[in-house]
Amino acid sequence: MRGRSALLFLSPFLASFAVFSLFPLAASLALSCFDWSPLTADRAVFVGLDHYARALREPRFWGALKNTFVFVAGTIPVTTTLALGLALLVRRPLPTPLRTLFRSGFFVPSVVSMVVISLIWKNLYAPFGGLNRFLALVGLPAQRWLLDPDLALAAIMAMDVWASVGYYMILYLAGLATIPDELYEAAALDGAGFWGRLRHVTWPGLKPMTLFILVVNTMRSFQIFVEVFVMTGGGPLRATETVVLYLYDAAFHHFQMGYASAVAYLLFAILAVFSLLELRWLRSEQRVLL
Amino acid sequence: MRRLPRQVQIALTIAVTGAAAALLLFVACDRDRKSAAGETTLTFWQFWRTEWIRPLLDRFESEHPGIRVELQQLTWQSGLEKIEAAVAAGLQPDLCELGSTWMPRFAASQVLADLTDAAEPMVKDYRQWEPARHGGRIYGLPWVVGTRALFYNRALFRQAGLDPDHPPLTWDELVTAATRIDALGPEIHGFGLNAGERYVLFKKFMPFAWGNGGEILTPDHKRSAFDSKANVEALAFYKRLAESALAEKQDVIDQAFMDGRIGMMISGAWNLRTIAEQAPSLDFDVALVPRPATDRGTHASFAGAEFLVSFARSAHTREAIELARFLMRSDNAVALCRAARSVQPAARGAEEDPYYRENPRDRLFVTQLETAVAPPPHPRWVEIEEILDTAVEETLYGRRAPAAAVQAASASIDALLGGGGGGGRAGSGGGR
Repeated sequence: MRGRSALLFLSPFLASFAVFSLFPLAASLALSCFDWSPLTADRAVFVGLDHYARALREPRFWGALKNTFVFVAGTIPVTTTLALGLALLVRRPLPTPLRTLFRSGFFVPSVVSMVVISLIWKNLYAPFGGLNRFLALVGLPAQRWLLDPDLALAAIMAMDVWASVGYYMILYLAGLATIPDELYEAAALDGAGFWGRLRHVTWPGLKPMTLFILVVNTMRSFQIFVEVFVMTGGGPLRATETVVLYLYDAAFHHFQMGYASAVAYLLFAILAVFSLLELRWLRSEQRVLL
Repeated sequence: MRRLPRQVQIALTIAVTGAAAALLLFVACDRDRKSAAGETTLTFWQFWRTEWIRPLLDRFESEHPGIRVELQQLTWQSGLEKIEAAVAAGLQPDLCELGSTWMPRFAASQVLADLTDAAEPMVKDYRQWEPARHGGRIYGLPWVVGTRALFYNRALFRQAGLDPDHPPLTWDELVTAATRIDALGPEIHGFGLNAGERYVLFKKFMPFAWGNGGEILTPDHKRSAFDSKANVEALAFYKRLAESALAEKQDVIDQAFMDGRIGMMISGAWNLRTIAEQAPSLDFDVALVPRPATDRGTHASFAGAEFLVSFARSAHTREAIELARFLMRSDNAVALCRAARSVQPAARGAEEDPYYRENPRDRLFVTQLETAVAPPPHPRWVEIEEILDTAVEETLYGRRAPAAAVQAASASIDALLGGGGGGGRAGSGGGR
């Protein structure tokens, strides 16, 4: 009886999930083996695995993949370290209003739409924008930021770190709350200083949370799209084109839905491998801890 | 917070779910609603602001009792996606506005209604039919057209010792003016040049190439004609112009021009509206895009157009054509163009309207249209356009010399059209 009523209450979600997520997922897998464009929807041509082969031959795909990897490898360590540092900082005994201010302050970007954040930062990076004015103030030459092929991706990565660090800080705060005070007391009695306690109590205690953060952040970062779409559109010289932007282009500018689906499934395969590795690592670590 | 009693919770849940279901049902039924009076509901999807277009539709409705026009405003960011999805789902509107660079692919894919019979008598009275033609038939009606012209800041011209009543006519004069204005100070730039942006770069470069006699495709659209001396010259000139330019995105350039930081830019008529609204004191004027030299070349520019189309599966194509004719009429098109100030009527002779006689800057855009060139209508134009953008960008960033960039672009276009490897294969684009 309980099970059935639970199912009843879950059914709105399950129904929409099936219709709007599960079905499109399966459909796009099938689609990846067809030449299909919405305008010629009734004239699909079966091409087998050709689209996958074409993607692997396409220099633009590899360029996009490289940019995505740079983004992932460049942001995740920084975001994670900063999130931990911030969590430790805002956890320190501070007057409550200040603590609330800091905690919510760092978290605010996480609840703001990424489009809004991207637009704000686009203005910051503009030629006469805030960042160049600041550089002029301290006597440094203006930069071209989003128009410089060597800087554009880094500029977007910096923004992404700023925008996402608050969320992971909150996760770390939750993780910190699970570490018993006795452990710190015992460590202090054993003569451990700040670094000793961090190294031998906090870090091991946070390990499950760290791994959780890594897994979640990997999945999110590989799919980076909005920031690039809003700020650079993949340019200049495709220096910021990521895999999802590339497949968006194939789907909604060239209207090659089949090819775009194939690229999406290639990304899915890469993501699956990374997630599996991380999850396996997580599981083996948990066995040690428990 | 006190929790609500369980019964109330359940009642609330049922109420909310029920309301949502009812709403869904209502929305679903609404689609098929037919008014009892035998009124025809015409769906019209377009890109203009409702307050600009609705007054025209109200007039149409009062002149045509029995037809009600249901308006949907699309955005340039997502409109095309929405139209394509609607076509695939069989939920296409009766009348729809399409940009000229999209027309060839739609026309080739056989989803549009054949408007040849309605169009034929109108051909001589309107410009820009080319993108709507496919296989000897006509699939779209040109509504409004748009082009780019040279904007220049008269105050900066005076400061740089240039005559503001004689804007640059030739490439050399353009570079000279840009260099002299650029020398006025670190915050002032001679020219505003588009960079780091998609779908725009070729529109700003090709005027110089076309003006110099350059082409993109051969007349039969089967091969690239891009690798030519004319195009290399134009690209080399463009690179020279870039040396005294601020290379930025369109919105930044438009803003910088309004702020008086830029001497000249090639941009669209929408600036006439935004400058009037946001920088009414700016001392500026507009001129034709300069030609290579006084004794050769043309004042070419980019010509775009908006078409009105109906779909093969639309239920009310006859009424849709009626509305299209009404909107295209010179007086109605002028009314829209006056409000939007970014396009001009496709109707020939519209420049004789008192509005254009009283507004010489708007009129110049109509004059510029006479020498403006439309990109070749090819179903895979979007991909060709990307190749051209890349060539311009690579040259501006110094990655390739103009000759090498032109050559590489030409090879990419051939690969695309020939269906060979590299860029992409024919097929899903509804190719020829």
